[in-house]
Order: sequence, then C-alpha cells, then structure tokens
Amino acid sequence: MSFLSLVVKNPFRNKTRSSLAIVGIAIGIMVIVALGMITGGLENSTQSTLKAGAAEITVSQAGSTGIESIGSINQTYATDILSLSGVKSTAGILRASNTTTATTSPNSTQGGFGGGLSITGIDSDKLSLMGVDSVNGTTFTNDSTNQVIIGKTEAQSLNKTVGDTINLYGQNFTITGTFETGNFMTDNGIMMPLSTLQDLTTNQNKVSDVLVKVTDNANVTTVSNTITNAYPNQLTTSTAADSANRINQGLGFISTASWAISLLAIFIGAVGVINTMVMTVYERTREIGVLKAVGWKNSRILGMILGESIVLTLIAFVVGTVIAVVGVEVLLTLVPSVGNAITPSFSIYIFLRAFGIALLVGVIGGLYPAYRASRLSPTEALRYE
Amino acid sequence: MNNNQNIIEIKDLKKGYDNGKIKALNGMNLEVKKGEFISIMGPSGSGKSSLLNMIGGLDIADEGTIKVAGIDMMTTKNLNKFRSKEIGFVFQMHNLIPNLSVVENVEIPMYETNTSSKDMRKRALDLLKSVNLGDKIDQKPTKLSGGERQRVAIARALVNNPSIILADEPTGSLDSKTGEVILDLLKDLHKKENVTLVMVTHEPYVGNMAERIITVLDGKCLTDNKTTNSK
Ligand SMILES: Nc1ncnc2c1ncn2[C@@H]1O[C@H](COP(=O)(O)OP(=O)(O)O)[C@@H](O)[C@H]1O
Ligand SMILES: [Mg+2]
Repeated sequence: MSFLSLVVKNPFRNKTRSSLAIVGIAIGIMVIVALGMITGGLENSTQSTLKAGAAEITVSQAGSTGIESIGSINQTYATDILSLSGVKSTAGILRASNTTTATTSPNSTQGGFGGGLSITGIDSDKLSLMGVDSVNGTTFTNDSTNQVIIGKTEAQSLNKTVGDTINLYGQNFTITGTFETGNFMTDNGIMMPLSTLQDLTTNQNKVSDVLVKVTDNANVTTVSNTITNAYPNQLTTSTAADSANRINQGLGFISTASWAISLLAIFIGAVGVINTMVMTVYERTREIGVLKAVGWKNSRILGMILGESIVLTLIAFVVGTVIAVVGVEVLLTLVPSVGNAITPSFSIYIFLRAFGIALLVGVIGGLYPAYRASRLSPTEALRYE
Repeated sequence: MNNNQNIIEIKDLKKGYDNGKIKALNGMNLEVKKGEFISIMGPSGSGKSSLLNMIGGLDIADEGTIKVAGIDMMTTKNLNKFRSKEIGFVFQMHNLIPNLSVVENVEIPMYETNTSSKDMRKRALDLLKSVNLGDKIDQKPTKLSGGERQRVAIARALVNNPSIILADEPTGSLDSKTGEVILDLLKDLHKKENVTLVMVTHEPYVGNMAERIITVLDGKCLTDNKTTNSK
C-alpha cells in the first residue's frame, strides 16, 4: 500500500467525526460556489446591457425615477432631440405591462416582473436601439394591429413560438418573430408597433422614453448634457454606462460580501478541522509512538496528519460544489422569474477559488495538529494509555 | 569497547525523569554480543523499559555512554534512520493500526526504505507466511486473537531486516500457552537469522529461554548470568 493510500484511508477511521468536519466545510464551500455562480451570472448580464448598436442614452420625464410604464412625455421630443448635435437616431418607446389572459393556459407560469408581461411599443425600424439586431421570423409591420414579437426567455416561459397567438388587452396577437438581445429585461418582454400600444393604452402621441443613439465620434456624456440643457426641467437622461455602473456597484457589494462569507467559511472550517485533527492525534498517540519506533521521520508523520486534513477538506470541496451546482440549478428551475433573469456562471475561476479555499482550510487546519504529532516524544507516546 | 563483537555497549548510563526526581537508569552497565539472546528481568519500575528505549534510540540518556551497532546514541541526531535500519520493536501491546489489514500493518516500517509498493507487499507476505499467518493477510487486527496479533507485530519488527530485536514483555498480555508459541517464534528467528534478541520479561520461565539473564534493580544491573542455553 502506498503512503498516499494510507493518508486517504485514515480519515475514514472515525466516520462520524470526519463526516461532521466535512459537512461543516462543505457548507462553506457550497455558499462560496453558489454565490460565485450567481454573482458571476449577474456580472455577465450587466455586461450585455452595454451592447454595441443599442441606444446609449435614455431620455425620460424630468423628476421621474427609473423606467416609466406610461406615456409621460410627448412623442414629438423624439424628432426634436434628433436635431441636437451628436445625435444619430432617436426612438420614442412606450412601456406598458399587461397580465396574461385567457389564451395562455391557466397553469402556465407568468413571465415578466411583478407577474405582468412587459410590453414595449416601438417602430419596427428602430428595434436596433433596443438592442434587437435580428428577429427570428419576421418583425411586425408598423401599421399592423395584431402582430407582436417576443423575447426569447418570455417565449420560453409562456411556451410560445412563432405563429402562436397571444392575448393582450383582450385582443389576439400573432407572434411573428422572436428575438434575443442578451439583456434579461429586454428578452423577458414583448414588442409591438408604437401606435398600436398607444391606442391600446390610450396614450396617443405619448411615449415613456426616447432612446438616443449618438453619432460614431460623439461623447455620450456630452450629448446627454446637451439634451438636458436643451430641455431644462422637462427631460432627464440616463446612460447605459450609468446604469451599468449602478449595477456594478451593487455587484461589487455582493462580491465583497461573498468574500467576507468566504473568509468566515475558512475560519469556521479551519476551526472544525483543527478540532477534528487534534482529536485524531490525541486518540492515535500510541500509534504515533509506534510509527516513530519503526523509524518514521517526523516529517512523514507531519505529512500524514496534514495530508489527512487536506483529504477531509477536498472531500468537502467536492460535496459542497456538487450541492451548490445542483442547488442553484434546482432553485432557478423552481423560481422561473429568477431563473429567466440569471444564467448562472460556470466560470472555472469560481471552482478554482473554492478549491483553493478548501486546500487552504486543509493546510491551516492540519498544520498545528500535524506539528504536534510530529513533535511527540516517542517514549511518552508509547506509555500513553 | 574492548570487544568489537559487541553490538550493544552501555557504560554508566543515567536517565532521569520529572527533573531528575525519578532515576529510571542510575549507572547502568551492559554489553551484548552480536547474535546473542538475552533477557532482562526485574521488578516493575526498575528501569527495564527505559533501558530498551535507550538501546532503540527512542529516548536519549542524560549521562554515560551508549553505543549500538557502532552508533554513538548520545550524539547522533535523527535516530529515526537508525531505528528503521537496525531495530525491530515488539511491545507488550501489539500496537497494530486498527483500520489497516494485517499485511498493510507489516508494510508500515518500509515507507522509510525506498521500497516499491510491489516489493513491500512481497516482503510482508513472505514474513506473514513465516509466522504462520499466510491465511490472515487481509484481516483487520481486531478480528485476530492476541497471539495472532503479536505474531503480526513480530513480522512488522522484522520487515526491515533489523540487527537487533527489542521485545518489551512480548508475552505479557498473553496466556501462557499462546505466550509459548510467541517465544518459540522469537527463539526460532534468533537461531535462523542470527538476529540479536533483547527481551524484557518478569516471568522466570520466559527469562530462562535466553542465553543470558540480566537482572535490573533501581536502574542498575544487579546480576548477569549465563544460562544453560548459552553457546
Ligand atoms: N517518559 C517518562 N516520564 C516520566 N517517568 C518515566 C518515564 N518513563 C519511565 N518513567 C519512570 O521511570 C521509572 C522506570 O520505568 P520503566 O523503565 O518503565 O520501568 P519498567 O519497565 O522496569 O517497569 C518508573 O518509575 C517510571 O514511572
Ligand atoms: Mg516496562
């Protein structure tokens, strides 16, 4: 039997105690991996909000907070803003929401946030400003009153595809196409002609926002300031970079928190391992005396105990990682509103970090007991009852 | 030191414990020839185990001289190498590792000897056959009788071909019949392999199997007599 097999075999001598130590560390590893997968997923989706081709600036009513769901500004702003310097194109959009009705099967899950479908009215030639570069199928025609296109994740959660019918505001619409932008908010919604949505929601000639795309060499911040200066107290702007920064700040916080949790897990895990290994060394005092008597070097005894500690934490790494991956997948499947929003990250970095932490806990937790074992006086160890 | 055939040479050896309050060895003198079989007798606490520990390099004496297999035990560092090469210990308690099989237990001392796993296994199996445990190699020690366990311990002590076997009351925890089997085994080994055998015991009939009997009292050698077994 090789020395390595001995080291791997020994932790299974006291199965209960080793299992408890493994569970303790595995919980820490699980939290680290699960948080890593989710924050990694969120980071990826933030990245995709900064998609090339889409509008850089969103113009809305001054004093409004965030996304307006009703027509709050005049559609004419879209043409007015177009005349400002640095503006390449503009699109007035109307955002509305509507709960699914009779045509969707009653037990089908509802898409969108807050249980409603998010519907955007936009002219079909302006779709690229929303980040929709291509439509799978055909897009709606601007003067149609019964055509919509639907985002990929919304299509999945409603179980709809091109050619199907969907009931909105009591009217049947044909899905002419599906799209995918990579932005989870956009992909979780429906788009129809602007005028049709204005009519349905009695918001004639009104829009929620004006999307602005700047000319190729213009500075986004400069154009943004030009717009607010041109319409003081009337319009306010937000840039895609702004909102990405806000999200990144939030993610930064989550990331700091997950490092703090990792540190705590290392600490608790290490204390558990030290305790387990000190007990092991204590119980095996005589045996360690025998190993010294048969000629084992102190460094081999140190290596054995340290190795056993690392075996414990590496088992915990495997257990914790498997639980985290399965757990995150199950959670995202059971709660589709979250599942649609987040695609968990499987970045190798997350697993390497967890592996590194497990290894570190094994070394930190095993070092002191291993050192003590290696320093035991052989005669005293052999006299030990 | 006057006889280069001596494998053990001890002069005026002293060892105290508890800051010198206990004098485990108090001027011990002993010479053992290569290939000799001696038994050390004496009451409990007289220093027999301490003497064996000094010979085996498990502990270092405070004063005096002790040379074993040509090595000065008072000055040599890293005695683990010496123990691995020259010494085979057999204790009163078998001290086998409970989660390892019999054959794996016998392999334990070979980790320090650069032996391949395959050769380790072969050597351990050969020895287990020679102590009549060829059919128990994969058993856990807990499944064995006391005598069988002690036979495993003897195989373990022999696995690195030591020049000296140090046996500290090897039959102390066995009934007399099983004890005899163990003693016969040790005696056989001594005869066949010409290994030096130093055995501590407090049972006179066990001591009488040796070629020479040393009696120890208060950390000193009291008597030193050849027996009828002497060559
Ligand atoms: N490691 C030790 N620490 C303290 N006292 C010891 C130690 N080893 C032996 N002694 C003491 O030294 C004396 C001799 O012990 P020992 O050599 O074991 O005697 P024996 O084997 O003849 O019974 C005893 O009084 C014992 O308690
Ligand atoms: Mg003793």
